[in-house]
Amino acid sequence: MSATTGTSKTTSAANATSLASSKTIKQIGETVWKNRTVKINAELFTLTYGSIVSQLCQDYQRDFKKVNDQLFSMGYNIGIRLIEDFLARTAIPRCDNFVTTSEVISKCAFKIFLNITPHVTNWSNTKNSFSLIFDENPLSDFVELPMDASKELWYSNILCGVLKGALEMVQLDCEVYFVSDVLRGNTQTELRVKLNKVLKDEMPAGED
Amino acid sequence: MAIQSVMIINKSGGLVYNHNFIEPKGTMNSNDYLILAGTLHSVFAIASQLTPKAVQISNKSSQKTETQVPYIPGIGVSTENKMAPLQLGSFMGPDYFQEPFTNWNKSGLRHMITDEFSMFLFQSLTGIKFVLISTNNFRNNTSVSIAENILRKIYCIYSDYVMKDPFYSLDMPIRSELFDSNLKNLIESL
Repeated sequence: MSATTGTSKTTSAANATSLASSKTIKQIGETVWKNRTVKINAELFTLTYGSIVSQLCQDYQRDFKKVNDQLFSMGYNIGIRLIEDFLARTAIPRCDNFVTTSEVISKCAFKIFLNITPHVTNWSNTKNSFSLIFDENPLSDFVELPMDASKELWYSNILCGVLKGALEMVQLDCEVYFVSDVLRGNTQTELRVKLNKVLKDEMPAGED
Repeated sequence: MAIQSVMIINKSGGLVYNHNFIEPKGTMNSNDYLILAGTLHSVFAIASQLTPKAVQISNKSSQKTETQVPYIPGIGVSTENKMAPLQLGSFMGPDYFQEPFTNWNKSGLRHMITDEFSMFLFQSLTGIKFVLISTNNFRNNTSVSIAENILRKIYCIYSDYVMKDPFYSLDMPIRSELFDSNLKNLIESL
């Protein structure tokens, strides 16, 4: 009996701390987005991305597998640079577990750069993979996939690359891929992030 | 404080940027600067391996100590003409940041004082080091905080004008006029 009360106490305490920290992560994201970041019209961004994808489809003669790969590698190159911008803006300390990482990604990173907050769900038992559910996706506004693309193309695949690149620069080796997309007729847009390994050897010195 | 030079060292210990705002007395060629940067990189790593026994024990027993750097207002941003639009790249004024922040460099080399100058080091989470050399030999904590504020602002300029330059390849020397001029503005307004 005492053991059960003990565990319930510790879980509630753990919940309280995680809630408190998630609130501050959320607050950091909102202040940085609101007061520290220059804003542009989102439609300009959406349409620029749209023209990139349509150009790629043309260049690769509608070989959508190649388009996916190309979008991923473009995203990767963005991610390895964007992480510096994110860290300079927020100066958040290193995440001590993957749950915090997921909160920082959804509440801070997506908020600052895209002004959206995807939901984090579908945790694996070992807490090393989660899904991001996008209620809104500014990349895919005004988009309808053509018939031949709707089975193969992941329209927003650049996001996977960005996440992969950015996480790699903070020594988290991850696998990032889309599971479903409303553009392909699924009920929701789901992006899966799976942690392979924390690259301990590549941690910069001086951090403990 | 008078800033003598700013250096940026990439994560493998190579010097990618060096600018002297005041010409140093001795003569150092570019090779010497490369060696200096490599040495700093190694000393930083060695310093993080050597911890006093007392700190080792207290770190184990208590929670991790977070080193907070206080925000010091008015560094490198003009506070006089509030009407004029501030040029802070993709950062919205009045300043790059306005909250205290945690220092990522917990156990590495942060500060070095000599009779002639003092040196400050700032390391980002990705392993890039920013070095600031000042001609004054400061010994108090406030000057370290001021220096860390300046260094984070340099990091902000770096993230804006170096990382968003499509002609820049990662870990290579920085040759960017925009970065130069923005850094110069920051240092001159101190």
